[in-house]
Amino acid sequence: MISLQHPLWLCPFRVFFLATASSALLLLAAWGLFLTGFLPLPPFAGGAVIWHAHELFHGCILASVIGFILTAVPEFTGVRPIAARHVRRLFGLWLLARTAFALSGLIGSAATVLAALCDLGLLAGVLLWLAKPLWQGSGRRHLAFFHALLALFVVECGFYASLLGGSDALPWLRLTGSLSMILIIIALSRISMRLVNDVLVERGDDSAPYVARPPRRNLAILTLGLHGAAGFWLPGNPLLGWLALAAAAAVFNLLNDWHIGKALWRRWVLLPYLVYWLMALAYTLQGLSSFFPALPGSSSAAHLAYIGSIGLSMLIVMSIAGRLHAGHDLDRRNWLPWSGAILLLAAGARYAPDWLGAAALLLASGLWCLAWFLYLRHALPVLLGPRPDNRAGCDEGG
Amino acid sequence: MNAPPGLPGRLLAASGSVLAYLWSGWGSLASLFLFMAAWHALAMVLGSLILPTPVESLQTLSRLLHDPLAWEDIAITARRALTGFLLSLGVGSAAGMIAGISLTASMMSRPIVTLLVGMPPIAWLVLALLWFGAGDGTPVFTVFVATFPVIFVGAMQGTRTLDGQLRELSRMLGLSFAMKLSDIYLPHVLSYLFPAWITALGTAWKVVVMAELLSTQDGIGAALAISRSHLDTPSSMAWILALVGSLLGVEYLLLEPLKRRLESWRQWDESRP
Repeated sequence: MISLQHPLWLCPFRVFFLATASSALLLLAAWGLFLTGFLPLPPFAGGAVIWHAHELFHGCILASVIGFILTAVPEFTGVRPIAARHVRRLFGLWLLARTAFALSGLIGSAATVLAALCDLGLLAGVLLWLAKPLWQGSGRRHLAFFHALLALFVVECGFYASLLGGSDALPWLRLTGSLSMILIIIALSRISMRLVNDVLVERGDDSAPYVARPPRRNLAILTLGLHGAAGFWLPGNPLLGWLALAAAAAVFNLLNDWHIGKALWRRWVLLPYLVYWLMALAYTLQGLSSFFPALPGSSSAAHLAYIGSIGLSMLIVMSIAGRLHAGHDLDRRNWLPWSGAILLLAAGARYAPDWLGAAALLLASGLWCLAWFLYLRHALPVLLGPRPDNRAGCDEGG
Repeated sequence: MNAPPGLPGRLLAASGSVLAYLWSGWGSLASLFLFMAAWHALAMVLGSLILPTPVESLQTLSRLLHDPLAWEDIAITARRALTGFLLSLGVGSAAGMIAGISLTASMMSRPIVTLLVGMPPIAWLVLALLWFGAGDGTPVFTVFVATFPVIFVGAMQGTRTLDGQLRELSRMLGLSFAMKLSDIYLPHVLSYLFPAWITALGTAWKVVVMAELLSTQDGIGAALAISRSHLDTPSSMAWILALVGSLLGVEYLLLEPLKRRLESWRQWDESRP
């Protein structure tokens, strides 16, 4: 077992970002091999689609969210970072949950119960730790993280209750998808305030500072939440089409904050900008698919957001927080925009299967894996290595 | 010193601000889609016979718009509403400014304005039917008289609240009348007039349909009366959509950009520390 003195435990993001990128790569590589028939499809509780969706949401994406929150909240609120031994326990729960879910079809409901306990224990542990810094003083400004994670906890309870009760658990995962979009908006609104303004200052163009305006953000969160709730209660209803279009318009409305001239073309601005574009496009297509059946279905459109928007935002957050809080400068190498472009291509390919056939699904899986392979190749020395200043903790370099 | 931008630069800046204005409409669009969702939810509860869904109404509207007669009805309604509105805009703005300049006129006009505001448009419509019969005159007059007090009060308030110190300063600086008008008087008065004009335009659109419904054989109001007599709810909703759509178009594509341009000084003023 890796000792507590290993650099991996210096800061919570290290192990969780490593878990995110590794699971992103492994889960989609396995999915591609299952789809092509190179590997026989093993049994999973609830079926293969449930395993695929749950592990990507609650395995891969949640790991990046936990890594980011445990690192960023002490910075936002000024509290002491979470102790390494707690991080190790949380990561242990994450790993056990992934293993138990993978074996759920072979072992039976005991493995599913174990996965449920570990997944819920992980979320409860993070929520318990977050409660104190976020409910006091300046931390209250960031309570949205707590509320979103609490909602994820409730949805995860519902998911496992459905799964163990033998009913369809997929609606709970769609709800998780909507919550993930909301989490992106909450996180990006905070990160972008610093990122974009840093770029403006660097360009000597800081006369009109960038502000992520709360009313716009609240409208986007409201519409995304309504769409998620309606999708859960009234699947397939045309009402969803209107709510999806409302969500798309509200996300496009967020981009009003981002039109800041030539600084938009800098990678630290353009990549998060594209996150919102992809999200808005995905919701537009979801909305239109309700009224025009000839268009690819809402699942294909939703994947445009899952791969493009969530994938890209994970890449940005992990590339920025994962370096700054390890004492390094921002990564200016070309692999990052290339990985972003590959994720966009993967999102496009995943949207196309209704026209291009199953090859598009395989292409999307391959491109997704390539992007995360590039990330791991360039980020692994940072995640596993000591800080360049040989200090401990999560402080930024310099 | 920076050289002034050439024509391509100015064109680029102008197209940039047009794009920025259009992009700022996404927030309104989100609210409209939420409204559509609420409408759909209500239609699900009440049933299509009582309240057709937005999609059914839009499909009916699309079918209606394939008929050239429908476009004729829309044009007739727009002509009547705009004629009444423009008359009101001219007379109401001028009379309101005159009343604002003179304290005596302002005092005299107050009870008359109260009377005009309090008089329901339907009462004017009855009088107009007696005076003008079933032609264009009735809806145009009703629109005029219903929108006049709104514009009159806006113009009067704008003129009354002119900053006396600014007026004094302009006199001391010896500004020409044209400069006083364009740089001091008009920007201030317009900041009161524009909201009044927009409110009046909305009122005009509503009143003209009511007047047509009760007094004419053509226009959107008459079409609504026919669809009501046939118990054709989807057609009624389609006509209402056409009406509201044209109102939103005029307000957001014509009046709002104009208002922003004329009020750019206010934004600059508010942005100062």
